[in-house]
Amino acid sequence: MDYGFTTAAYVVAAVLFILSLGGLSGQESAKRAVWYGIVGMALAVVATLIGPGAGLWWLSVILIACGGVIGYMLATKVEMTQMPELVAGMHALVGLAAVFVGYNAELVMNNVAGLDAAGIDALKGFSAKVAHKTPVEIGILQVEVFLGVFIGAITFTGSVVAYGKLSGKLTSSATQLPGGHMLNAAAAIGSLILLAIYMSTGGGWTLILMSLLAFFIGYHLIMGIGGADMPVVVSMLNSYSGWAAAAIGFSLGNDLLIVVGALVGSSGAILSYIMCKAMNRSFISVILGGFGGASGPAMEVEGEQIAIDADGVAQALEEADSVVIIPGYGMAVAQAQQNVAELTRRLRAAGKEVRFAIHPVAGRLPGHMNVLLAEAKVPYDIVLEMDEINDDFPETDVAIVIGSNDIVNPAAQEDPNSPIAGMPVLECWKAKQVFVSKRGQGTGYSGIENPLFYKENTRMYYGDAKASLDELLKRID
Amino acid sequence: MKIGTPLEVEAGENRVAMTPDSARQLQKLGYDCVIQSGAGAKAGFADADYAAADVEVVEGADALWTSADIIAKVRIPTEEELGRLTSDKTLITFFNPGGNEAGLEQAKASGANVIAMEMVPRISRAQKMDALSSMANIAGYRAVIEAGNNFGRFFTGQITAAGKVPPAKVLVVGAGVAGLAAIGTSTSLGAITYAFDVRPEVAEQVESMGAEFVYLDFEEEQQDGAATGGYAAVSSPEFREAQLAKFRELAPEVDIVITTALIPNREAPKLWLADMIAAMKPGSVIVDLAAEKGGNAEGTVMDEKVVTENGVTIIGYTDFPSRMAAQSSTLYATNIRHMMTDLTPEKDGQINHDMEDDVIRGATVAHQGEITFPPPPPKVAAIAAKPKEVVPELTPEEKKAQEVAEFKAQTKQQVTLLAVGAAVILGVGLVAPASFMQHFIVFVLSVFIGFQVIWNVAHSLHTPLMAVTNAISSIIILGALMQIGSGGGFLVVLLAAISIFFAGINIFGGFLVTRRMLAMFQKS
Repeated sequence: MDYGFTTAAYVVAAVLFILSLGGLSGQESAKRAVWYGIVGMALAVVATLIGPGAGLWWLSVILIACGGVIGYMLATKVEMTQMPELVAGMHALVGLAAVFVGYNAELVMNNVAGLDAAGIDALKGFSAKVAHKTPVEIGILQVEVFLGVFIGAITFTGSVVAYGKLSGKLTSSATQLPGGHMLNAAAAIGSLILLAIYMSTGGGWTLILMSLLAFFIGYHLIMGIGGADMPVVVSMLNSYSGWAAAAIGFSLGNDLLIVVGALVGSSGAILSYIMCKAMNRSFISVILGGFGGASGPAMEVEGEQIAIDADGVAQALEEADSVVIIPGYGMAVAQAQQNVAELTRRLRAAGKEVRFAIHPVAGRLPGHMNVLLAEAKVPYDIVLEMDEINDDFPETDVAIVIGSNDIVNPAAQEDPNSPIAGMPVLECWKAKQVFVSKRGQGTGYSGIENPLFYKENTRMYYGDAKASLDELLKRID
Repeated sequence: MKIGTPLEVEAGENRVAMTPDSARQLQKLGYDCVIQSGAGAKAGFADADYAAADVEVVEGADALWTSADIIAKVRIPTEEELGRLTSDKTLITFFNPGGNEAGLEQAKASGANVIAMEMVPRISRAQKMDALSSMANIAGYRAVIEAGNNFGRFFTGQITAAGKVPPAKVLVVGAGVAGLAAIGTSTSLGAITYAFDVRPEVAEQVESMGAEFVYLDFEEEQQDGAATGGYAAVSSPEFREAQLAKFRELAPEVDIVITTALIPNREAPKLWLADMIAAMKPGSVIVDLAAEKGGNAEGTVMDEKVVTENGVTIIGYTDFPSRMAAQSSTLYATNIRHMMTDLTPEKDGQINHDMEDDVIRGATVAHQGEITFPPPPPKVAAIAAKPKEVVPELTPEEKKAQEVAEFKAQTKQQVTLLAVGAAVILGVGLVAPASFMQHFIVFVLSVFIGFQVIWNVAHSLHTPLMAVTNAISSIIILGALMQIGSGGGFLVVLLAAISIFFAGINIFGGFLVTRRMLAMFQKS
């Protein structure tokens, strides 16, 4: 097979990938879209395997098959609530792969540099391509390799930390070493200096040292970001893994890598932007970590939290005509989505209007709640976005808040000094009655007092979300 | 500090501003309480009850006004009472600052701080101290009871062995707090209840109370009642005509009319005219809750009950809350207690008269020798006003202008972005070799396509999107595949092999997970 065929296959694969992303605009077309992606990937891999310059293809196939088995097991076993961890963990793999491929490019460059004309002729594949480059091109190649390794390394440790935080293995609060972002900046500047040394001397050690610095940046950057910002972090890492692939694509001169890397990179960037906007925070402030910059003392919260038991909630639900459920991370933690779905089914069977209000940053992953509810077979046409449902709260009889806090915090609108002031929130307190299912009286993720819990039409239904709903289900039929 | 409550001097006023219960709560805030002997008697609270709640009982108004630092009372203070104020005292009472200039001047001269309970802003935070609402609630309830007292028939319809009794028909005009309370009482007694209000947005509240909202056949851009802090505003002559025509139509049918239409600081509008009264059945009852401001019905006499020639009773009492003194004192005392809670943030028995606070600022009419009425508009708008005021209706021209401006801004932004982008690309092209530029163009175009495509992705599919992008980012496997066979030593092969392995996990894992997720999305 010659080079033309491979290129043609790449073009087809690229188109398929674009269609695959574009198809995600609707639930139905999305199912088709995944197949586009799968076919595109298969085409790309096969074309490369049989294309020019590929060798050891049997080894490649075995490795892909082994990886495939592991991937299959991971994907089929994982609980839907663990989705964020899984995605974060898989980003780490891409990051590490990018680092290794970058190293290889450097190794190949070194090899080629030491060869004479006869040796160059004997080369094949990537090495051959490298050998025919002019000095300027080699320079650019070095920058590209350097960039690819740098971004890949940040993605790797960043994703590992994100995985740890999401799975609860690391503390999810923002923790930083003394020095904070100065350390990151110092490491970044150090990497720049190393780049200069690398360009002038071509020493492979600079690449290794830089990787270590980048590993540190990835670790420290993500450690410094609080749990509530995780949706942004995950999509940001997603973006990085794309940019890393694109950078590697440049160094290898592979257009498909560039195309896909750029697609993934821009997709992640847009997602991060959407998430940030949903929290009314700038990207910079998320990266800098933690909530901050309150301009004055927060508004005093008056009144008290009034508790209610399952009977009271059941009673109110029985009398209600319209119910809006607002799920949050607490529902995911307690694995209560099945109970929520069951409650929904029973209420709907009783002729009540039940809808779900999903805040864009509910959960720890963009769209996290949608996936959980879908898993529990809640029909997606009653699951609404914030903008679609916010105006309906005044006409709602009962709003049930399950394990969410900051996204229903009225302080965002009422208290200009609140750290979350200006963040769009679900205005559930406008419903006639609000029930909050919550573990205890503590504050939410961001540690901000929530005046909703003290409102006159709010009742607190304390307890683990799943256990509480179990109790409730016994009383509703 | 000491909070004291005197005996109300107004004749016929039975209420009292402090109850034994509220005194206990006030003591928790760190205050000492004192009451004039006999102040609670007419509301059913004996001196002994107060004493049992550790309230000091003193004889005579003099002793009370001198010993208390904060005086809480109900009725608008008389000249004599204001004369007792000194600059270190705080007075909390109904004050009617809009129509009580002499009182304001006197309060200013005394240097005392005066808080007028009717000036508490109508914001959600201040609802617990909104004495107007709590009194209006009682007035609405009592109006129905008073009407029933003067109405010769049942409210509810019955079919008995002794014959069939038709249900009474009640019309409530004005669905404010008093109106809604009247509606609730009337429907629970079993009457067929109609309600009217100039603010069409309250129709829902009316219907929620079980009454039928009377709609007018009238098309006009009505002023949003919410824009006036939840109170009704003056309506246009045409609207008024339509309204009166509707009332004329209803007059022969209804047995009981309860009017509650008040516009702040104005005479009450005349809504139930002489001809409507004449059209009503003998034995019908009109309760005019607006009697204090001249009444909504023609022929209302303030504080009196009159019977017209055709046998319609018109009740113009203004003291409904006072007629239920035990209930109204309890609620009013609670309002006062909440006001004190806001005034005592430290709970140390010391008043902190924070003029920055919307509620306290709004209610204060005299402060340290200054008249502070009328207050500036509150920083937080009324509850109902919020969503609507944000988007004022634009005229077509304004809309057009806005669209044009937006379009221009967008064009400008896009052109700037394009120019900068093009400049950057050209700049790169100047220095970089052609082989690089080829790839660079592909890169830029892909980023562009990515941006275009991703914006359309449904919000609920963001997680699948991430899983898919994650899966396809393992396209990096191509790099490893090309390297593994290109020769270059064991290390190259090893690193490439590991990369292929990892990417393999990612490809399969990513796509499978995405499929699993998407399979779960289903329509009902």
